[in-house]
Amino acid sequence: MPVHLTPYQRPIGGGRKGRVAALLAAAVCFPALSMGILAACSPSEKPPADTYRGAITGNIKSFDPAHAGDENTNTIQYQVYEALYQYHYLSRPYDVEPLLAAAMPIVSDSGLTYTVALRTDVYFQDDPCFPQGHGRKLSAHDFVYSLKRLADVRTQTTGWWVLEGKILGLDAWRQASESLPPLPDTASPPLYAQPVAGLEAWDDSTVIIRLTHPYPYFKYLLAMPYLALVAKEAVLHYGQEFLNHPVGTGPYRLTEWRRNLRLRFERNENFHSETYPREGESGDSAVGLMRDAGRVLPLIAKLDFGIFEESQPMWLNFLRGRLDRSGIPKDNYAEAVMPNKRLRQDLEAKGIDMVKLRELYTGYIAFNLKDTLLGRAKALRQAMALAYDVEESIETFSNGRGIRAQSPIPPGLFGYDSAYVSPYGRFDLEAAEKKLAEAGYAGGKGLPDFEYLAVSGTGTRQLGEHFAQCMRRLGIRVNLVAATWPEYLDRMKKGKFQIVRAAWGADYPDPENFLMLLYGPNEPPGENNASYHNPVYDSLYRRMAVMQDSPERLALVHRMRDIAAEDCPWILVNHRLAETLIQGRLRNVKLNAVMSAPIKYYGLESGTP
Amino acid sequence: MKAFILRRLAQMIPTLFGVILLTFLLFQVVGGNPVYRLLGKNATPREIARLTHQLGLDQPLIIRFLHYLGDLASLDFGRSWETHQRIAAMIGEGLGPSLSLAIPAFILGTLISLGLALLAAARHKLGMDRALVILSVLGMSFSLLAIIIGAQYLLAFRWDLFPISGWEPGWRGLPYLALPIGLWVVSQIGADTRYYRTLIIEELQKDYVRAAQARGVPGYRILGKHVLRNAALPIITQLTMALPTLFTGSLLLENFFGIPGLGNVSVSALNASDLPVIQAMVVVGAVLYMLANLLGDILYALFDPRVRLS
Amino acid sequence: MSAAKIKPGPRPAAPSAGPWLLAWKKLRRNRLFLLSAAVIGVYIVLASLAALGVIATRFQEAVGPGYQPPSAEFAWGTDVLGRSVLARLVHGARLSLLVGLLTTGIAIPIGVVLGLLAGMSRRFLDPLIVWFYTTLDSIPTLLLLLSLALLLPTGKGVLTLCLALGTTSWVATCRIVRGEVMRQRELPYVRAAKAVGVPAWRIGIKHVLPNLWHLVLVQASLVFVFAIKSEVILSYLGVGIVDKPSWGVMIDDARIELIGRGAWWQFTGATAALFILVLAFNLFSDALKEALDPR
Repeated sequence: MPVHLTPYQRPIGGGRKGRVAALLAAAVCFPALSMGILAACSPSEKPPADTYRGAITGNIKSFDPAHAGDENTNTIQYQVYEALYQYHYLSRPYDVEPLLAAAMPIVSDSGLTYTVALRTDVYFQDDPCFPQGHGRKLSAHDFVYSLKRLADVRTQTTGWWVLEGKILGLDAWRQASESLPPLPDTASPPLYAQPVAGLEAWDDSTVIIRLTHPYPYFKYLLAMPYLALVAKEAVLHYGQEFLNHPVGTGPYRLTEWRRNLRLRFERNENFHSETYPREGESGDSAVGLMRDAGRVLPLIAKLDFGIFEESQPMWLNFLRGRLDRSGIPKDNYAEAVMPNKRLRQDLEAKGIDMVKLRELYTGYIAFNLKDTLLGRAKALRQAMALAYDVEESIETFSNGRGIRAQSPIPPGLFGYDSAYVSPYGRFDLEAAEKKLAEAGYAGGKGLPDFEYLAVSGTGTRQLGEHFAQCMRRLGIRVNLVAATWPEYLDRMKKGKFQIVRAAWGADYPDPENFLMLLYGPNEPPGENNASYHNPVYDSLYRRMAVMQDSPERLALVHRMRDIAAEDCPWILVNHRLAETLIQGRLRNVKLNAVMSAPIKYYGLESGTP
Repeated sequence: MKAFILRRLAQMIPTLFGVILLTFLLFQVVGGNPVYRLLGKNATPREIARLTHQLGLDQPLIIRFLHYLGDLASLDFGRSWETHQRIAAMIGEGLGPSLSLAIPAFILGTLISLGLALLAAARHKLGMDRALVILSVLGMSFSLLAIIIGAQYLLAFRWDLFPISGWEPGWRGLPYLALPIGLWVVSQIGADTRYYRTLIIEELQKDYVRAAQARGVPGYRILGKHVLRNAALPIITQLTMALPTLFTGSLLLENFFGIPGLGNVSVSALNASDLPVIQAMVVVGAVLYMLANLLGDILYALFDPRVRLS
Repeated sequence: MSAAKIKPGPRPAAPSAGPWLLAWKKLRRNRLFLLSAAVIGVYIVLASLAALGVIATRFQEAVGPGYQPPSAEFAWGTDVLGRSVLARLVHGARLSLLVGLLTTGIAIPIGVVLGLLAGMSRRFLDPLIVWFYTTLDSIPTLLLLLSLALLLPTGKGVLTLCLALGTTSWVATCRIVRGEVMRQRELPYVRAAKAVGVPAWRIGIKHVLPNLWHLVLVQASLVFVFAIKSEVILSYLGVGIVDKPSWGVMIDDARIELIGRGAWWQFTGATAALFILVLAFNLFSDALKEALDPR
């Protein structure tokens, strides 16, 4: 070896450099190879014949009915818990039918008393919380207990507004619950034994409910997930972990829950007998929705939900046949649906089907009328309404899936009029500029920057940017503020916003549920985000809220609609149309705007890959 | 050795206390009142006052801090505002998936970086070295975010080489972990290779190397036996300093690939303003970091007796 | 190829103009340095022109239909709302540079001041400062960033972002300054000054500090890069900038449209713009470090 060369000039390893190089090459290639091999060993693609594979699109709260209220949580709770009534699966318009009740309620005393007979063949699922692990029979006391539990302040339910002020004596009972010792209870507190005038278990299978006012939509409330029946034994046995251990009367029971990953359910052996409906709408038979009429439910033995917080993996898994049902993300719309709104050939060839639903939904932009400028200058609000290109936003951000809203009431509800056009329910830049000048701010001069609040997220941000773009044409400057969902709710509740993007989905199929959004006393922290106060509107509301559907009620509803349209506390945006894709092997899917995921009715074609 | 470990543990305590104090001040003082959150839409002032009292939020700060310390000592991180689950349980569930991603990624990344660094040093100033340096600098300049999105699109979606997202416990999870681990390695080796390369080149200039060469010791043995051993100390230092990046990487990777680990829990908590969960994550993250540092110190002490005695 | 250039040797201790001149000469000859400086310069010029409203003025309006690929008409295509991607990229540069500047402006002074205090102090301040930054350092950076961005009462926006970024990036500077100050403290000229009776703070500011600038400069460029890269991630996660066009926001927009419609231009544009700037800064800092602090 020549010694005059310095080490860093001569390659180390001389003749052995091949060895070193090979070793290092192997070190680099091995991981790549192994990754490739491992990836190729992906799980097989054949779908199991007895399992429905669904997707949950967000974080689920828990299995406690007290925390129900968002679509994902309702979806999973619906499989294990049941309420007294449920919506008829096939019939339209939406109406309720008995589920745990034996028959429709007997309404007496001019709508103030509901007498409900319960079924006597319902048992809770088997669970260690019961003696010997056998699920016990359901009784009327379970209903009383479940509602008391909901009223108990310690439960911290988000659904108290459903019952608040409606049931005789329950509000006072709730106040009394404030002095109970903190949860968890080891035994049922004596307060629970105290009778409530409006909630009586007349005997083991009869419930008598007494209302404070004759709410015509009360029967719908009895179908809400908040009012699902729970077993006292389960609550006491599991204490703080009750939210993870559902014990219900529903068609399925929970068998596995890996947080943020998946949930699995299996058929509940104790499920009471229930059969697929024999009646429906006129078109149901033609699309094959009546094939399973009379069969015992649930039709599918197992459920497997994956949690997909991102829409792309959900979509791709659906395309690969690993999910039975999926929504269509906005950016994939073109690859799924042709301009004539029909499914593309390649998807149809795979047997994929599309089902549509007119959602009972109204999207709107609310002005905070407590803001001095916005509250005072009606013409300004009207100008902004005329300048917002709603059709463009529906086209861009919802692929045209929806119609421009002309009133708070969505199509499908009593009071909706498809021919009605609100005076400010169109895109008219000229008229907007005129209105702006009328308000004294021609060209946007003299106006401060406005703040627009929305939930943070790509889609909502882009919607906000589009709104700001439209306002800029008038010379009005709008700044976006993004908040996480809880912050957003918090700010709306405190009225800390100027302009906010909001939406409302029906809790029950009655127009009162939408018109109450503009009722004065419902101002923040209530649902009347805009803090809209109009005495005429308010008195009309109080009258229509307790009326049954009739021509008089219709007249009231229309008057209210006109008043609100002229006052312009909102810019009405859209009513959504949902389009869902399902695999060919899934049948009996009829989408329902008030009931999440009634999977007990779904069936799977056997033998289809 | 045991005394050394005990000493190091004792030194960690003030830092741990500092972290707990800092998070407490940050979240409790700056974070705001959770009562509105928990009570929902129509909370009356009575209910608000009641829950405030029940949660102990009306007590002086010192008392609340002491309660907090006590809770942490019994590993009670409270409950999530969003899901009402016990946070300690959430952490327990998330630890497994996170480690199943982080540990293989870390080990693989280190091995590859060292290997490449050795290669580069051995070929110092020649073509391969230059190429590796350039690649390293390029690699360092890419945003992990862009790498993840690009790779997920091309490799998982367009070319269908990997599953797009998901996870399974145990060995069945390997196909899902393949791409995230690969991406993690790719994003890290740039910086690491450069650093190790510099270290090794410095070592190679020392006299003993020249002497060994003169004696005829083959190159790979010089590299493997002597240089690595002597460079072990700074390598270990660098390893422990690189640990915090594991957390960042895992946050994004878990989020994109749907791995239900601590990073995913953190991002969900962030989107839900679920402050107790984020607070717990900060404390847990800090503790993990300090434990890893301790591990690094122990390894260091094993290699270098002088440290033990100082 | 002389050994003297690479072999580590004793560093010049006496303060003089020598090192700066030497460093400058070295840098002038380094082609990579010049190239990267030029690239950074281009970015600065473009960003300033955009800020002044000279170019890319119509970045907020729709210039055409949405999702147009790059063409003669739309240099780098349009995004979901029909806005020019190129214009938004330029404004993104402006935002990134602003964030980098603000963050550096927050982090470096804090780091230098605290480092000086810690290094010069005899008894009590030093352990306190060390304890403080060890604590901060133990918390995973991204988590700390997210927490701060979520909790700071200054709302969401550039200021909060830079405060959060600044808070998490001063520690390295502080450590280096402290170490260097402690080293310098033992040197003859400092001892001499103290013997003569010059107060500690004067020694610190007039004599020790000037010897640190080269280290601080290197750190500043590192913090700058850190800020730019982190802003992208934070904006992507939704806690950074929201209503202005930042590269992070663009990547967020681009992600779904990439997988969904194969609209690649916004993604590649933002990624490339970020990549080039970060690369330039990396090369710049490297050359700077090589020249000023060749340890």
